[in-house]
Amino acid sequence: MKRLLWLVPLAVAAWLLPYGLGGYAIHVADVAIIFAILAIGLGLTMGVAGQINLAQVAFFGVGAYAVAILTTKAGFGFWTAAALALLVAVVFGMLVGIPALRMQSHYLGIVTLGLALAFTNWVTNAHIAGRAEGISDIPVPPMFGIDLSSGYLFYYVELVVFAIALAFALLVTRSPLGRRLRAMRDDDLAAGSLGAEIPLLRMTAFVLSGLYGGLAGILYAGLIRFVAPESFNIANMFLLLAMVIIGGRSSIIGCVVGAVALSLVREALLDASGYAQLGYGLVVVLVVVFAPQGLAGLPGQIRSLLRRRAGGSRAQLGPFRPYGAAPASSREAALEVREVTKRFKGLVALDRVSLTVPTGEIRGIVGPNGSGKTTLFNVISGFYDPTQGSVALGGRDVTGMAPYRLSLRGVARTFQNLRLFEDLSVRENILLGLDRTRTSWIWRYPGLPWKVLDYERSLHRRGEELIERFGLTDVAGAGPRSLPYGVQRRIELARAMAMSPTLLLLDEPAAGLNGEEVRQLAEIVRSIRDSGVTVIVIEHNMGLVMSLCDQVTVLSSGKVIADGRPAEVAVHPDVVAAYLGDSMSAPTEATAEAAAEEATR
Amino acid sequence: MHFTRFSIAAAALTALAACAPPGQSASSEANATGPIKIANVNAQSGQLSSLGQWEHKGVKLAVDEANKAGGINGRQIKLDLFDDQGDPTVGTNLARKIASEGYIAMLGTAESAVTLAMSPILKDAKIPSITSGQSPKLAELKSPFMFLNAPTSVTFDETLAEYLVDDKGYKDIALISNNGAYGAGEHDAFLAALKTRNVTPLADEVVTPDQKDFNANLAKIREQDPEVLFIGAEEVQSGLIAKQARELGVKAVFAGGAPVGTDVYATTAGLENAEGTVVSSPYLSNEASEEIKAFAAKYKAAYNEEARMHVAKAYDGASILIEALKQTCGEGGQKLADAIRGVKRAGLLGNYAYDANGVGIHETKIGLLKDGKVVPEAAS
Repeated sequence: MKRLLWLVPLAVAAWLLPYGLGGYAIHVADVAIIFAILAIGLGLTMGVAGQINLAQVAFFGVGAYAVAILTTKAGFGFWTAAALALLVAVVFGMLVGIPALRMQSHYLGIVTLGLALAFTNWVTNAHIAGRAEGISDIPVPPMFGIDLSSGYLFYYVELVVFAIALAFALLVTRSPLGRRLRAMRDDDLAAGSLGAEIPLLRMTAFVLSGLYGGLAGILYAGLIRFVAPESFNIANMFLLLAMVIIGGRSSIIGCVVGAVALSLVREALLDASGYAQLGYGLVVVLVVVFAPQGLAGLPGQIRSLLRRRAGGSRAQLGPFRPYGAAPASSREAALEVREVTKRFKGLVALDRVSLTVPTGEIRGIVGPNGSGKTTLFNVISGFYDPTQGSVALGGRDVTGMAPYRLSLRGVARTFQNLRLFEDLSVRENILLGLDRTRTSWIWRYPGLPWKVLDYERSLHRRGEELIERFGLTDVAGAGPRSLPYGVQRRIELARAMAMSPTLLLLDEPAAGLNGEEVRQLAEIVRSIRDSGVTVIVIEHNMGLVMSLCDQVTVLSSGKVIADGRPAEVAVHPDVVAAYLGDSMSAPTEATAEAAAEEATR
Repeated sequence: MHFTRFSIAAAALTALAACAPPGQSASSEANATGPIKIANVNAQSGQLSSLGQWEHKGVKLAVDEANKAGGINGRQIKLDLFDDQGDPTVGTNLARKIASEGYIAMLGTAESAVTLAMSPILKDAKIPSITSGQSPKLAELKSPFMFLNAPTSVTFDETLAEYLVDDKGYKDIALISNNGAYGAGEHDAFLAALKTRNVTPLADEVVTPDQKDFNANLAKIREQDPEVLFIGAEEVQSGLIAKQARELGVKAVFAGGAPVGTDVYATTAGLENAEGTVVSSPYLSNEASEEIKAFAAKYKAAYNEEARMHVAKAYDGASILIEALKQTCGEGGQKLADAIRGVKRAGLLGNYAYDANGVGIHETKIGLLKDGKVVPEAAS
């Protein structure tokens, strides 16, 4: 509660502001608030969720036009029309979001831009939308006898809506949903393997975008009481984009600051409007070059600059606190891979691979480069659909299930070349793993926001415990990129264990570790096994494999060539041949390896 | 504890707000001395800036003359220019600015869409305005504070249709217009005028205001081989359409509203291509009458460029406002609106007599383009 105290003077200032403003200045403030709401929406989709959305101005238009048409042509009251308009804007947001399921980055930008243009084109030509002349005479919103045609009183309506919109956006960004959206922005594959339903999350981002766009549109219709195509054109989309970029796209408060600042600048430049666009462009370029995080990122940038000058201390990895041993569970198979074949066009990466791993075992998977080990992991964790064959978890068939579903069923994995979310702190990386909710849980955000906060608090509690267990307390607040490689490996392991998995897949966990770190790793993996988790390890460090694994499976050219206890496998003639000789007889292996690498990417 | 303190503060605030809702003290300063503030809102930047600049020159000429002649009962008129950028949203902002800064009347804008957006705000603020827009929708607003300084598209196109269909007996007519506010207004008005005469157009092509290549549209029109091609677009676009139509071999007579009577149209199309174009306009040329000749000379002396209809109607509008201000002794509001409605003036565009919808001129004349100059067609 104390933390929110700084809001009080701000709220009082906002409340008293109209007393100090002239009739025109208050109108400028009204418009600035509308743009701030729009910028929050764009910040959520583009900054937080990483969906390049150039249709925000069209959502704005949809909201405003829907109110205009419903009040003037269909005879609805203002607030009924407003509720319907909000619904229309959200549905429009979902429609625009559909392409995002198939494409990302600049392609998505082009598609959304096209849809925004289609919207202005439609309203310029449709009779119902008043064509180029627009729709005037939108009724004044009634409110218990308060005259909202006054810009002063409308300001208070806007202020309340804005406060709620801002609070909701902050709730979203500082909760499990926002964390998942940011994780999706950084690396959607890794986010999926942590249990994030990527398609649903993308739709959520566009629904939020439509919601905020519609909200701003309704307020616009109530304030200006006139709509025309020019107000929703691409120049305004650019202005909005500039607001978000200047303010700092991943910070909601930054977006608001950017929107308010640019609205005021636009007002000041009214007399030189011919050159205003040029000015905005220049400012955007300068910001992108010198402050890529925008105004909101400046304090952090200065802080890191100072720290670099001071030459900060090196983070220390604490000792690992072992898990308590779990009672031995049933010895049934945790994982059963039956006759799995995976083909990439002409290349057979896996050829009728069968594998049974009993519960509570540490299984090693070894083999030369390009023998299909990572492909096997990708099939088990749902990244690839097998061409043939089946995968069963604890006796239930899970062949072809999406990664997030498998993650929710207890499959956790690490990646050969580390996939930590770099824009999130170590703590947030781990909280992502801890959050086991389905995305459908999000109805609670508008419905029961306090439940969300409760859940978030409990996540943090469990997160701290896990961080402490893995000895990451010193580095919990840092960004993963700034940490040594060995620490990053430890974080990825902790993140995987945060999912409380029953099956843990480790892809070359010892790569790049020094001798002491390898020893610690072995200790941690054994403790994990003792807590009842089945572990499968791909590893090249033969010393580690021999000492750690209960059983070892050897793959070569996509086939299982040996299976058994480490000591037996090491002397198996086929294994020796695969590792040491006979490579002359199989010149295709190098090409196969390259192709498989390519496919894994 | 915190909570109670907070709620007390909140309660105090609400009480404060309830006692004195914020707002501007009604600007009834009614300054009977000092200059009279008049706003001129016109696009000075963007696509329609040339139109806005002409309008401003016409208004300024009239105001300067009035000030030189002693102003309104000794008070000078202070004319301030605002740039609406051709954007209705900017227009609404400016309307509020004008209302809050004590302007008593507005001249402009040249674009109907902007004026339409501003009109409700000006009506609420009781600020009379004289616009250069000619969209029929302006008259449909029936705002008692809104006046037009030119006829609406309905008048332009009714006169045109009467000449083409009733007098000349043309029946094969094709339309090409843009879907901007002006083009759409012309399109609708001319189509309605044809409909009352039971004429169905052979082709009805709609383009966008920034389109430059009309070959696809004109090829379709050529197939129908019309006798008349009606052009509903601004000056430059009309010229481009005429030029490309002749290049494609369209032989139809061109017809249109005020834009096709301008030198911009004639030079863009090429004098040969524009030859014989039928113009419906209240202001056919700078030589149409003695008054217009005098005005054109005066304008040329002031700005060193040729006068044109946009200048003339802006001048007319400003003159009407000045005349009304003299009657109210510089007072604005309802009184000024009534005074404007009462002005009967033989202006450059015709005889102004305002009706309830704010339209002052109810007829246009037909002219034909000869050598790039409009020659009045003998009234029939």
